[in-house]
Amino acid sequence: MALPNTNSDPNTAALGAQRVRIWYGFLLLIVMIFGVRLFYVQIIRHNHYKNAALSDQLKQYEIPANRGTISARDGNQLIPVVLNQKLYTLYGDPVYIKNPDTVANKVSAITGANASKLANLLRTKDTRYVVLGKRLTPEQNKRLLALKYPGIGTQGQDFRTYPQGDLAAQVLGFVDDSGNGQYGLEQALNSQLKGTPGQLRAITDISGVPLAASRDNTEVAAKSGDNLIVTIDLAIQQQLQTILQKGVKDTKASGASAVIMDPRTGAIKAMANFPSYDPAKYNEVENAKLFANASVSEPIEVGSIMKPLTTAAALDKGVIAPGTTYYDPASWLVNGFRITNIEEDGGAGTRSVADILNLSLNTGVTWELMQMGGGSINDKARTIWHDYMVNHFLFGKATGVEQGYEATGYIPSASDNGAGINLTYANTTFGQAMTATPIQMAAAMAAAVNGGTYYQPHLIDAAIAADGGTTKKTPKVLAANVVAPKISQALIPLMQNVVQKHNFNPGFDQSNYVVGGKTGTAQIAKPGGGYYDDKFNGTYLGFVGGDDVQYVIAVFVDKPTNGGYAGTAAAQPIFGKIAHTLIDESLVTPKTK
Amino acid sequence: MRPSTPRRRPVIGQRGSGRQDTAGVLALGRKHRPDYWLVILCAALLSIGLIVVYAISPALAQASHVSTSHFVNKQLLAISLSIVAFIATSQIPLSIWRRLAKPLLIIAAIATVLALLLPVNPAYPAHRWVRLGSFSFQSVEIVKFAALLALAGFFTDRIAHGWLDSYEKTLKPLLIAVLVAGVVIAGPQKLHAQSDLGSMAVLIAIVGAMCFVAGLPLKRLALVGAVLIIGATLVILPSQYRRERLASFVHPESNCQDAGYQACQALIAVGSGGMAGLGLGRSVQAYGYLPEAANDSIFAIYAEKFGFIGCLVLLGLFTAFFSRLKTIAERAPDNFSRLVVCGVLAWLSVQTIINIGAMIGLLPLKGITLPLISYGGTSVVFVAAAVGLVFQVSKYTTFAAPIHVMTEKKGGHSHENHHDGRRLRGAYHPDPSGRASS
Repeated sequence: MALPNTNSDPNTAALGAQRVRIWYGFLLLIVMIFGVRLFYVQIIRHNHYKNAALSDQLKQYEIPANRGTISARDGNQLIPVVLNQKLYTLYGDPVYIKNPDTVANKVSAITGANASKLANLLRTKDTRYVVLGKRLTPEQNKRLLALKYPGIGTQGQDFRTYPQGDLAAQVLGFVDDSGNGQYGLEQALNSQLKGTPGQLRAITDISGVPLAASRDNTEVAAKSGDNLIVTIDLAIQQQLQTILQKGVKDTKASGASAVIMDPRTGAIKAMANFPSYDPAKYNEVENAKLFANASVSEPIEVGSIMKPLTTAAALDKGVIAPGTTYYDPASWLVNGFRITNIEEDGGAGTRSVADILNLSLNTGVTWELMQMGGGSINDKARTIWHDYMVNHFLFGKATGVEQGYEATGYIPSASDNGAGINLTYANTTFGQAMTATPIQMAAAMAAAVNGGTYYQPHLIDAAIAADGGTTKKTPKVLAANVVAPKISQALIPLMQNVVQKHNFNPGFDQSNYVVGGKTGTAQIAKPGGGYYDDKFNGTYLGFVGGDDVQYVIAVFVDKPTNGGYAGTAAAQPIFGKIAHTLIDESLVTPKTK
Repeated sequence: MRPSTPRRRPVIGQRGSGRQDTAGVLALGRKHRPDYWLVILCAALLSIGLIVVYAISPALAQASHVSTSHFVNKQLLAISLSIVAFIATSQIPLSIWRRLAKPLLIIAAIATVLALLLPVNPAYPAHRWVRLGSFSFQSVEIVKFAALLALAGFFTDRIAHGWLDSYEKTLKPLLIAVLVAGVVIAGPQKLHAQSDLGSMAVLIAIVGAMCFVAGLPLKRLALVGAVLIIGATLVILPSQYRRERLASFVHPESNCQDAGYQACQALIAVGSGGMAGLGLGRSVQAYGYLPEAANDSIFAIYAEKFGFIGCLVLLGLFTAFFSRLKTIAERAPDNFSRLVVCGVLAWLSVQTIINIGAMIGLLPLKGITLPLISYGGTSVVFVAAAVGLVFQVSKYTTFAAPIHVMTEKKGGHSHENHHDGRRLRGAYHPDPSGRASS
């Protein structure tokens, strides 16, 4: 093929070469401009761009601290009741999911979730984050990651586990998804359990994942929360829950609460309510009321279990003596209303202080109140009784037990409101027109029988800090001289007498143990005023011990429907079972003298 | 590479040795040692690109859910292919390549039509890619390569026939060709065109450089330039996307969150590099902040890693590389080979300038690769092919650049001016006295 002559004409070639040089000259000029520009951007403006980079790239993170565990004693053995376990949340980024059905089927085979639901989630538009599963085990996590699907990831998070199942669930509370304690101990001691979160300032990728290679990462280590040892005795707690459950079933009640407390320290040995819930599945609970520990959060009008405290106050004030007798007219007219007794017990006649408790005489405790006023219910009587209720037995205020949502209960003011205050005060002597929780009743009774010291009821025995340092909780005295020691000594036999005169099956061996108590059949206030005449709460306040009182037991049964007086028919058998169990399991030290 | 052994010596000065006769086109060129610096600089630039891709591949792999070695392996494959392309273009004589220009243009046209018709990847909605199974390439790279050869042949013809000044014979067909290419390559996406203004600019640079070097009168060049500026304005203004890009170029900091995002992140990467850079493994902008970190934005990542010093080294390497191309173009044995080398110089240098200029905020973003550095097979293979052509020319360069000769009109040998003493460093130079006698 004849190509045109391509040999250069020298002048064409020379012109070409010259123009190549011109072209190259321009190129050099541009490269130099680039060099100057680079100097400006990289050297002069370096700090500006470095800061701009950091403001995009540097992110601050909270490193969650390990939440403290909770253990309890079973005899001498320390048993964990709340531990942590890493569980995983599975999420997906729909943008990366090419075959939603395939992915959904594989995931479903591992997590057990509904495959078509998952597929729908994975088809979601306009979002890069859908949650496909929660609380997956480490094993499931491993299998999910092994699928190696792009757009599928898991995120670990500490969750509480409960090796003892639902034991003391309402006392413990739970930890919500954002890591905060709710209800019970978890709420009350949230900050102590939670510890101090650490901080990570790190250069991250655009999605916020810290880059390991970055040299600007700074870290403040998280400080783990304290591990707590509670005063709860697992054996007693377990028995109490069983007894309460059976008690509610037997009496066809709505529910029941009970507190077992050591009056010598204020330590709570067991505390339970029925119905309860499984804390491992707290998110499946539909009725939030189940979360509450009614023993501290549900004050009610307590009924006749108040009578031993009224009597203790009158004895302590010196207006009556344990052996005092008086004429009981079977009714008192106060502010135009008649205070009477239960018909079969309450005829007119000469009564003793022991009769007041044994026969549960409303007129008897009203008489005691009158003695505080020098013979009638007046300002002086009300002031003295109010002082005992509020400043000695500490009603109307929270005890400060380590529980969320503790209620204060209610004590009417002693000042004359011009609306039958004397009748109201007469009512408070037998536990009406005032409210208290089981924990308040137990703590007040403990002070009345332990020689007069009101110990703060408490659940924490010791706290073990992250560094291993152990802080033993010493009992805290909230009120001293609640009653004189000799009044305690007088009250114990009066209450033993009540137990002896009532029908327990089997009875108690009072020669080796002291077992005392008092029933209460409490009227329930109607919302509009007045009381229901067909609904009652059954209550019992008692104790078990040997040389000294070792357990104070408060039992509240919510609206039993098995007939009879609620206190005697519903609460008393539960107390009896608890007291027998404590003795039978050798948890009570018998008398030595 | 063949060692310089005595066996080669006898070839020197022996006219009519078979090779140059069959080569035909390079009639005057005696074959001598090629310019190995061309290969060395190419290899250096390719290595830098590979190192940067390797260093950021964890970030890339994380973003696209592939293995860490995916990108390096693909780039190594591209480099292997590019070596094949280089050998082909440097060994197959230029005369054959000249004859292949037309078939190559047809292939380029077919590839472009395929790119326009085949379905697009939703992540990259422009019709720039030909996808055949797992194999894919950018059609415009073939267009550039074919246009390079076709234009060089075209201008050589015009020079030979003395038609360079003719409007009918030279300027008109040229403008028509540029217009057709402009509509297809730079046309808006909604008309299913490629919307690739960067590549169009490179094509125009190739055309312009050849016009200029071929010796088109400056008045004509001014006319062509005016037409191109008007054309560019007409292309840019109707496109919302381009107006935004232009606006974000003028006021980068105020558009950081939307249209100017990539420009801002590129500047942040470059600026945060400082004097010495963050270090090879310490780029942060590659972790999702700067789009196209391995491709169009690779210079910014390089600048972040290696700082001002590293940038000067890179600019130095590019300048050295371009200066080799310049020298080879100056001393090309004939018009065709000079125009080919000029075209390659225009192609690679303009692409480099457009790419780096965008990264340092001097030019608007265009979405084209940095030659030899950017990740991406098509670009590397065709750049290597182009460099292969230059490498072939470097075997036949004259010993000095031609200067104006007043006494001789035609047929003169450009290398008669060997006494100006300038030598193509590194290349083998035959003995001037031996040459003079031929």
